Amino acid sequence: MKIKLFRGYFLVCILSVLSPQLHADKNSIPSGNIDNKTCINCHEKNNPQLIKDWKNSIHASTQPVTDCISCHGKNHSNSAATARPDKTCIKCHGGDKSPEVHSYTSSKHGIIMQLEKNTYDWQQPLRQANYRAPGCSYCHMHDSNHNINSLSRHSLMDNKAADNNEMAIRSVCQNCHAPRYITRLLINGENMLEIARKKVREGTGLIEQASTLFSESELQPANKVMQEMQHHLKNVYLGVAHQSPDYQWWHGHPALDGDLLNIKGIISELYRNKDNHKP
Amino acid sequence: MISIILVPLGFYYVNWSKSGEGAGLYSRDWIPDAIFAYWNPDDFYQPVKSVVGVFKGEDCISCHQGVTPGIVKDWQASRHSKADKKVYCNDCHGNDHENLHLPTPKICATCHTEQHQQFEDEKRFGFPSHALAMERALDAKHFVDKPKAEVTACLQCHSVATKCDSCHSRHKFSAAEARRPEACITCHSGPPHPDDETYFNSAHGQLYLKEGDQWDWSKPLKKGNYPAPTCAYCHMDEGKHQVADKSIWKFGLKEINPLTSGNEIKRKKWITLCADCHDEKWSADQLRIMDKERKRTWGKLYQAEKILKDLRSNKKLFPSVEQRPPYPGDEDDSLIKFERIGFFEGQASAFYNVSPIERDYFDMWYFGNLGAYKGSAHGDNSFVKKWHESMDKNLNDIKIKAEKLQHSGKRKADTKIIKDIWTKGEYTEFNRENN
Repeated sequence: MKIKLFRGYFLVCILSVLSPQLHADKNSIPSGNIDNKTCINCHEKNNPQLIKDWKNSIHASTQPVTDCISCHGKNHSNSAATARPDKTCIKCHGGDKSPEVHSYTSSKHGIIMQLEKNTYDWQQPLRQANYRAPGCSYCHMHDSNHNINSLSRHSLMDNKAADNNEMAIRSVCQNCHAPRYITRLLINGENMLEIARKKVREGTGLIEQASTLFSESELQPANKVMQEMQHHLKNVYLGVAHQSPDYQWWHGHPALDGDLLNIKGIISELYRNKDNHKP
Repeated sequence: MISIILVPLGFYYVNWSKSGEGAGLYSRDWIPDAIFAYWNPDDFYQPVKSVVGVFKGEDCISCHQGVTPGIVKDWQASRHSKADKKVYCNDCHGNDHENLHLPTPKICATCHTEQHQQFEDEKRFGFPSHALAMERALDAKHFVDKPKAEVTACLQCHSVATKCDSCHSRHKFSAAEARRPEACITCHSGPPHPDDETYFNSAHGQLYLKEGDQWDWSKPLKKGNYPAPTCAYCHMDEGKHQVADKSIWKFGLKEINPLTSGNEIKRKKWITLCADCHDEKWSADQLRIMDKERKRTWGKLYQAEKILKDLRSNKKLFPSVEQRPPYPGDEDDSLIKFERIGFFEGQASAFYNVSPIERDYFDMWYFGNLGAYKGSAHGDNSFVKKWHESMDKNLNDIKIKAEKLQHSGKRKADTKIIKDIWTKGEYTEFNRENN
């Protein structure tokens, strides 16, 4: 453990020494409005890793592309501080009321951010707990990592995908939280999500089994509930990821319980009617 | 004579039932998840043994500055670091790194005695209460029954009883932060207690959203200090660390008589509080309007409850109690099994493994009713309207489904397939095997 911590600390020291050299020569910083091409051309020379990371991220393949300008604005001055606050991400990620955003804004991290964001110095790099509460970018683009995929967990239904980024995620939480707490929380969250998946698989299995006996139109109400189930599964996922008890629970698990029993109700009713109509 | 035997036996039984691996009344029926240590430290926390040594406060700070810089920065910004006699890490966590503990309210009470006394005093008002919240969670039948990784969600909020940082987030522990409505909404949100939405939609909340950032939150929650009331301004007036002393309708899950002498005293307390800005008669009228809204809601809920109880007496609920997994806890506890309908039969745990019509009633009772209640209490008429419409829809669905069930003929569905649908399946079996 001590070696690991030392290694982490060592890395941070190296990075902080090197970081000024990673930036472009001050004289070459363009003034006025710039376009995305200009950003890429220059940063590809000065900080190729940053461009490589962005190209590997989902942002590079969205339609339209989420490019430098989308987050940093067209003016180079203050461009980092423009991109860092949550509102930059929220404008594309569904707005304040979307589950993606609300699961965060209703979490403890989110409410502290809400109350303190105007007091933060957004020029500070996204590391070393420079911000009391972590915002979207502090976790998902930690230390200016422009590949947001590497600091996110992707798969709703597949529990194997979860391990890929665990170390990277842990190192972010560790800016404030104890290693054992993080370990337990990550395991617990994974289990909580897996339980939600079990509910969804149970519902899917029942519909599949019933589809050998009943028509698509008879099963349509059950399939409609299954769509709700996918939303509620996603709520558990977001609740776990963003630490929102409300999304884990009221928008998540008991909602899934209701979906599952409604699917069971619809299907058992079909079987019962079939039984009763037998000659 | 009988009582001489029964009373000690009762005590013995309760103590025995509380001595299991879990905690609370049913502690022998469940095993805690490892994360519970952090939500309920008194019962489950074990110190980490990775670092050996006895340290002074300054030592903690200098090491943790590198290891977990966030908490050190937080502490540095807190009053604890600025007091004449600084309150260091070790004052709350202990010195011996192999035997550290998490600070529970009792530990905070070493200095914050008055606040802790107020917090503890809340227990005499019964549920709902912050101070009793952990007990409430641990003793809930569905908490005991469900897989523990699932019900961890409950403890994150119910730990308001076991750790002060639910409101005064660590390690800044700011009073100003706890005074703001946002401090409450991580828990006071979502379908059964939309306190966030109803407050923010209200005239009080709108004013807060518009101007709140400019107010001086270092001021105590006293008359004249804030232009509009907030959660804490009303429910914890004068900074009193308890929220139950004025609560008339309580959680809203059962009907109460709002006109008892006790409730009249509470009503007067509200009117006195509202008198910071409002005329007495106006405030009294608002409270009566809420009573009327509650009566209207209970009229609807009783109708639904009666329909369900009629179905139960006619043995028309489908699936019946024999065809589905038992009500949580019934597998061991109950000789006579029956469908639980209504508050006094344990409706609160009847939201899974029940028939769709029973769940409609749960939704109506837990979400519609409570949404309307909070809309009414916080002055958000749009919510009252929205949730009354939702209850009307639930009631209508219940009537339609009940009509079908009443005419469903003899319950022929004791076939294996129906029982399998309800008692088998990946989650249902996992739940049965894991709690």
